[in-house]
Amino acid sequence: MPDQLRLDDSDRYNLMLALTGLLVQGDEYEVQALAQRFEVSKEEIVKAVKNIGYMDMAHFENPDRYVVDYDALEEGYVRISYNLENVVEDVPRLSSRQASALAAGLVYLSSLPGLAENEEIQELQAILRTGDSRGNTPEVLVQPGSKDADLLTIRQAIKLSRTMSCDYLNLKGEMRIARVIEPLRIDLRGELVYLKGWCPENRDVRSFRVDRMRNASMTEKKTSKEALSAVLDDEVYHPSEADTLVTIEVDPEAFSLMVDFRPIEEPETVSQYVKRFKILVGDVRNLGRIVARFGGTARVIAPDTARVAVREFAMQAMGDLNPTQPADAE
Amino acid sequence: MSDKKPNAIKISKPERLFNLTCALLYTRSGLTKNEILRSVPGYEGEYDEGGDNSSLERKFERDKASLLHNGIQLEVAIPAHEDENNQVTVYSIKRESFYWPKNVKFTPRQMALLNLAAEAWVGGSLSTAASRGITKLRAMGSIGEDSDIVGIAPRIQASDPSFRDVNNAISDHQVVNFDYRNPKTGDILTRTLQPWLLRKVAGQWLVMGFDELRNEPRNFMLRRIVSKVATAKPSRNFSPPSIEQIAKTVAELDALAEKQVAKIQVNRDSEAWFRYELDLQGNGSSDELSINYHDIYVLAEELREYAGEIRVLKPEALIQLVRAGFEKVANDHA
Repeated sequence: MPDQLRLDDSDRYNLMLALTGLLVQGDEYEVQALAQRFEVSKEEIVKAVKNIGYMDMAHFENPDRYVVDYDALEEGYVRISYNLENVVEDVPRLSSRQASALAAGLVYLSSLPGLAENEEIQELQAILRTGDSRGNTPEVLVQPGSKDADLLTIRQAIKLSRTMSCDYLNLKGEMRIARVIEPLRIDLRGELVYLKGWCPENRDVRSFRVDRMRNASMTEKKTSKEALSAVLDDEVYHPSEADTLVTIEVDPEAFSLMVDFRPIEEPETVSQYVKRFKILVGDVRNLGRIVARFGGTARVIAPDTARVAVREFAMQAMGDLNPTQPADAE
Repeated sequence: MSDKKPNAIKISKPERLFNLTCALLYTRSGLTKNEILRSVPGYEGEYDEGGDNSSLERKFERDKASLLHNGIQLEVAIPAHEDENNQVTVYSIKRESFYWPKNVKFTPRQMALLNLAAEAWVGGSLSTAASRGITKLRAMGSIGEDSDIVGIAPRIQASDPSFRDVNNAISDHQVVNFDYRNPKTGDILTRTLQPWLLRKVAGQWLVMGFDELRNEPRNFMLRRIVSKVATAKPSRNFSPPSIEQIAKTVAELDALAEKQVAKIQVNRDSEAWFRYELDLQGNGSSDELSINYHDIYVLAEELREYAGEIRVLKPEALIQLVRAGFEKVANDHA
């Protein structure tokens, strides 16, 4: 997924270090191939190569430097000559932060069954540790989450581009039997695993929670062209025009709600410890359990319909806790 | 001196940092600050021999910090015969600490896993560190796709604003202060911590470290940190324990927590029934469930979500906590 993000100065410096480490290993590289490898634009590669070439150590103790073949660069090739005595001759190590971020990412991946063996992850972590410039201990540990056998089936179906079928417990709490899904991508979101798949019934991309699936099986049918050409984004929920705008206030203990909900604008700081944000909600009745779970560290501010929904959910829940004492008992 | 540069090309910051890196990497005896400012492109164009170079010196200080940020270990030495004189501090970069050990290569499969590991941070607290790290690794790996690793989009969700600050303090071995809310009493107390390790347990980010207030290793849940995580004043460094020591402490703290067991009853075929996978236990499965937990407040939250579908049987404290939460919510929304 070549994410051609905007690079800042430190990113560019980092790219120059990595690039020289690679360039000294061969004679000629295609700009296009380098752009692909580093997942940046061709312009960024050309800029980095030119910057490397400008390094002018003319009045320095060692007069040699990189010499860039600019004609080749015009034609889309990188060719540099240099004196090994005076260049970055290998790939630089990682900073502890870089190493620990990648190490944590690896552990996170290991929560997907069948993706990577534990030994494989450990081996990579050991390599990252040797490449950490301070040989630091790991700084972030993510414990693998629960594993789900249906995931193996889903992954296999995605890999082979096949349609699958499964039972699915929908948000209303109904189990729908043998639902057909054309699986496209597995989205790990914090603790939850979603399947982004094409739903032939609705002719649209839908997110399915894998923990609500049962009896997943792969069919012989190939995934349709329509499904494969569908655009996948990062969102799990797609707002519609009928949604209600709801204002929620959270203490730090409930800040995770802000991440889960993707507020429609920048959250507002109410006081040192309290933030407010606005979200779009399809059915305010669903807010009850979402807000009540926090037991007071999240509060709905507006509209009243949403506040009532949350209150009713909490009242109902308390009643359920005390089934033997109805509220009107004498 | 500045007229030595022909048609003075503007030297960008990345270029200047790169020049500085090369100069420090290839100096034999180290370079003094003045030598650097006078000769390394990016500084030398602005260097005023015998004049005021204080803004250039500040630039150099910032650049040093940038190098450190990128994982480059600067060697700082004061040659023995001229100690006490700051002007002759010399800087260099040791090649052994700069380059990867020889012969480290990644297979396409390993590269694919590492790419995915970096992608997991997209939009998250460590996205910058992960993307710069993977950029370096991409220079070492073989390219090519691993067909087994397709169709996966991982996202680690670290929402706590303190995540990055804590992570940086761990990297830099900095003692930190923060205000921490006790979940039981609601009291807020300033804590002083030598942070060792961030980890995720049962969906919650914890920082483990040496708590200077309690004088023992402790876990802190990031979401209960209710202030900025600030470096202690005056700033102090600590020497971190070994991997083995940290692992031992993790095991000790976890062992303590795992002794806690809750018992709940679940309504058949409810959402909670599927959530706790009671449907997978075979036909005559019981509707009772034991849950090991680390943190009673976190478990209470989880259970509140299944109101009406479950009943907490024990411990009593959990029963009270679930109820108190609903009461508070009902009152807050009255």
